[in-house]
Amino acid sequence: MIRHECLESLAAKMSDQLEVTSQSGQRIEWSHLSKHEGNLLVGMMGCAIGVATGLALALPHRKVIALDSDGSVLLSLFNLATLGNLRPKNLVIYVFDNGVYSGSRISYATATSGNTDLTAMARGAGIANAHTIRDIEEFNKQGIGALTRNELAFFVCKVEESLLHREIPRPNTDLAENKYTFVRFLERTEEKTIPFVGRG
Amino acid sequence: MKEELANRLVQGLKKAGINFVTYLPETRLSQIVPLIRDDPGMELVAVSSEQEAVTIAVGATLGGKQAAVYMENTGIYVSSYSLLVTGKQLGVPILLVVGFLGGVPDQRNSFLYATIGNHTIPVLQGLGIEHQVLEDGEKLEIKISDAVRAANALRAPYALLFAGEFSE
Repeated sequence: MIRHECLESLAAKMSDQLEVTSQSGQRIEWSHLSKHEGNLLVGMMGCAIGVATGLALALPHRKVIALDSDGSVLLSLFNLATLGNLRPKNLVIYVFDNGVYSGSRISYATATSGNTDLTAMARGAGIANAHTIRDIEEFNKQGIGALTRNELAFFVCKVEESLLHREIPRPNTDLAENKYTFVRFLERTEEKTIPFVGRG
Repeated sequence: MKEELANRLVQGLKKAGINFVTYLPETRLSQIVPLIRDDPGMELVAVSSEQEAVTIAVGATLGGKQAAVYMENTGIYVSSYSLLVTGKQLGVPILLVVGFLGGVPDQRNSFLYATIGNHTIPVLQGLGIEHQVLEDGEKLEIKISDAVRAANALRAPYALLFAGEFSE
């Protein structure tokens, strides 16, 4: 299984969900596959799950999706303990675990290539609905299926390292433009003003 | 901190529009935690690290809340990465309510805290985060409202560092 085929399946299911993505090759693939206005790019690693959690708590009636990587989760393991206790029912997290720091261009192994099992860590932290997904059929069934369930889900998707994202043109939308597109989408769909935007 | 000051601090946050608070408790301002918890107009979220206190508050702000993070100043060091990435780079306002241990006006300062306190303001300056040290309750509510308004206008975190009477 490669990440791109999972993202392709997921992009086809996007409707009014909110989606937060971390820095990695996936953000290039995702921006190519999904032009959804509810996509929010967090520019660096280790922050997407936290931002997605805040969104999920602020908007409990909206489904929030976090797209993350093994390297990113390893940078922010404290998220697991917090989520294991908060358990926001409207949050689905997909961790694309290729076992390497692919973006570094030397693809050295992450801890998940060795003895570290993120699914076991998530369960130990209190995320009962944590699973490892190893093929696209399982991703389509269990992973995509979580979008229609009302339960915190944490999927560690074991993917082969793929450099497909390097062949895809990089998006030219900067973080500020993306943020305001996201906020305006929320204002429109929630029919309310996001307070910090304010008046000029 | 006297009970009256703790109450004014929490009411000041509420009056300024704060309705979502992430936190990791510390010693100087901890009386505010049960007051926020018991206020139906404010959502209190316990976290495991100040780094995610910031990212969760940023997500809540984007989702329409007016969010604050309550932390010790050691949390500024821990969360400097997420403050820079999600606060400054993404441009999202949050109020930082910081127990300022080890600064000159900290009434419980000691060799344990002085080094930590000594570097806090230079680190905030390095991150480009506007801040103010509060040592007493004079115009407290106004200062909190001003800070929230400034954060929103700047689209960035703003830090209120509490010491002096707040650290008694």
